[in-house]
Amino acid sequence: MKTPRSTVSRRFLLAGAVGVLAAPMVLKPSRSAAKSDLVTLALQAYGGSYQATLEKQVLKPFAQETGIKVNLVPVPDLSKVKAQLLTGNVEWDLYEGEGAQAAFGSKQGFWEKLDPSLFDVNDMSVAPRGDSVSWEMYAGGIAWDPEKYGAGKHPANFAEFFDLKKFPGRRVLRKAPSDVMELALLADGVAPKDIYPLDLDRAFKALDRLKPSVASWVEATAQTISLLQTGEVDFSYTYPNRVKANNEPGGGKPLAFSFEQNLLFTADLAVLKGAPNKEGAMKLIGYCQRPEVQSRFQNEAGLIPVSKKAVPMLSAEVRKWQPDPSKPSHLVSNSSYWADHYEAVSRRFNEWILG
Amino acid sequence: MNRISIIRAQAIFMSPAVLAATLLILPPLLYVFYTSVYGPALSLAAYGQVLTSKLFRQTLTTTLVVAGLSSLLSLLLGFVVALHLARQPARRRAFLTVLVLLPFWTSVLVKCFAFTVILGREGIINSMLSWIFGIKIQLPLVLNMVGLLVGMTNFLIPLVVLPVLASLLAIDSAIYRAAAIMGAKPARIFWTVTLPMSLPGLLAGLLSIFVMSLGAFIVPSLLGGPQDQMLSSLVAFYNREVLDWQKASAISVVLLGMVFIFAAPLALWRRRKLKA
Repeated sequence: MKTPRSTVSRRFLLAGAVGVLAAPMVLKPSRSAAKSDLVTLALQAYGGSYQATLEKQVLKPFAQETGIKVNLVPVPDLSKVKAQLLTGNVEWDLYEGEGAQAAFGSKQGFWEKLDPSLFDVNDMSVAPRGDSVSWEMYAGGIAWDPEKYGAGKHPANFAEFFDLKKFPGRRVLRKAPSDVMELALLADGVAPKDIYPLDLDRAFKALDRLKPSVASWVEATAQTISLLQTGEVDFSYTYPNRVKANNEPGGGKPLAFSFEQNLLFTADLAVLKGAPNKEGAMKLIGYCQRPEVQSRFQNEAGLIPVSKKAVPMLSAEVRKWQPDPSKPSHLVSNSSYWADHYEAVSRRFNEWILG
Repeated sequence: MNRISIIRAQAIFMSPAVLAATLLILPPLLYVFYTSVYGPALSLAAYGQVLTSKLFRQTLTTTLVVAGLSSLLSLLLGFVVALHLARQPARRRAFLTVLVLLPFWTSVLVKCFAFTVILGREGIINSMLSWIFGIKIQLPLVLNMVGLLVGMTNFLIPLVVLPVLASLLAIDSAIYRAAAIMGAKPARIFWTVTLPMSLPGLLAGLLSIFVMSLGAFIVPSLLGGPQDQMLSSLVAFYNREVLDWQKASAISVVLLGMVFIFAAPLALWRRRKLKA
């Protein structure tokens, strides 16, 4: 019988055809990013209009000035950075993300050393570190529906947020220990300057009191607003730029936000080790630190510039939505503490939520 | 057709799928296995740490409970929908099938936010009830197990309806007529004809939705309560937040193992049933 034989050859042919078709997918992608007039910026994406504003106010003018085009890739986290370094196939030049993530990446050895001559250190409210640099700050705090809760009827600082007798109601907190732990200790009466290293037992004890009133430990930032909007919760921990965006025409029912006490976080820039266009990436970092660039960008994006000179250049409308960083009740989150402790605290925190 | 030509036909028809699976799915899967045992050194330490952790055990329990309940609910509701669809004339059925598929084509994120609006304390259901009874009613329907099951069921039903409908339509209508002529009442026809003959579709549907719900990620995090964390979010935690890929891979392998443990008996049973 010849039939089985012909089957084999046909199958073999088919396999060969599929193999040829699949080859380009398996082969290493060409390093088109290695061109010196292109920088690939991986941006930790939060959604919203941030990305468009960044392109308009920072990346386009940068391209006009230097001739270097910036390719923006929104990413959720560091895992792809790890994958790129692991496989030796580095496609990105620059990473922009939360301070804690950048510090965590630094601990893992993801970043190139930065040239200190890129910055005017005296102008920066957060000093650059060896391999990453903060360029903007954002705040976290308490929001509520002013129609439901007028003056004096809502918590305005973290101690009041934890005061269930005076302000009963359902609350929203982030499912992120780096937002929650500091908040709990501040609420429990620890002074901002004494927060680090965190007294975790004390923080969890304070959280035990609040836990029955926390309706959701939110992972998606949008929910910190939408759950307030729908009346599902009474008081939410969220970010002023989100509330501002919500209150603008075409948004939802206006919400209120307290600047009496806030947590401040930095957003950092770092260059990937073995970046195809290291030089261009360094240039962009230097450009991003310029006071006029920061003020131009933040007048539209609404976050707090790290450049001290940029702060007075912001419009009154924008500053209305920013905390005064010099207020002693605020706390700046310590990125390097979290780089060292994130995993252990996070596991304990997740277990505590389920327990 | 003789035996050899059947096997030959099978080989030809299956080889593209097998090849695609081997080339595209097997290598990354093997890499996940490899990552789960190979950290600083070759060891099963990650499995030990994962399996003994309280976080994992609690999350595993929630995963099994949620996957089981939502699969059963979807199966029941989906079966009823499929039965109704099977009785419709073809054109009407096509239209109704599109209605079933419409939510299936909608982004699960959008659906979850929509469910918050429908099920919330001041949502559509609660305001209707409040209006009807004239008192303020705030049933907790979202950010808890109820919301989670509603979201999951909504997501899974189309996956039950389609295979069940296919097996229902494959039943020769002469069998129904024969049963009726022999004096069987509708209930009897259902239990002796419809149900057994649609069993292949039911089992296929059950298998796919159970496997899918084991890996659910978005619905539990948006509609579930603080305690309703599922395994996939634990994988995301190790994978994305703390970059501990060894543990993330170990959990993924355990999850995959669970899929096999549940899928294998079902698949075997189905095969026996089909042969019989």
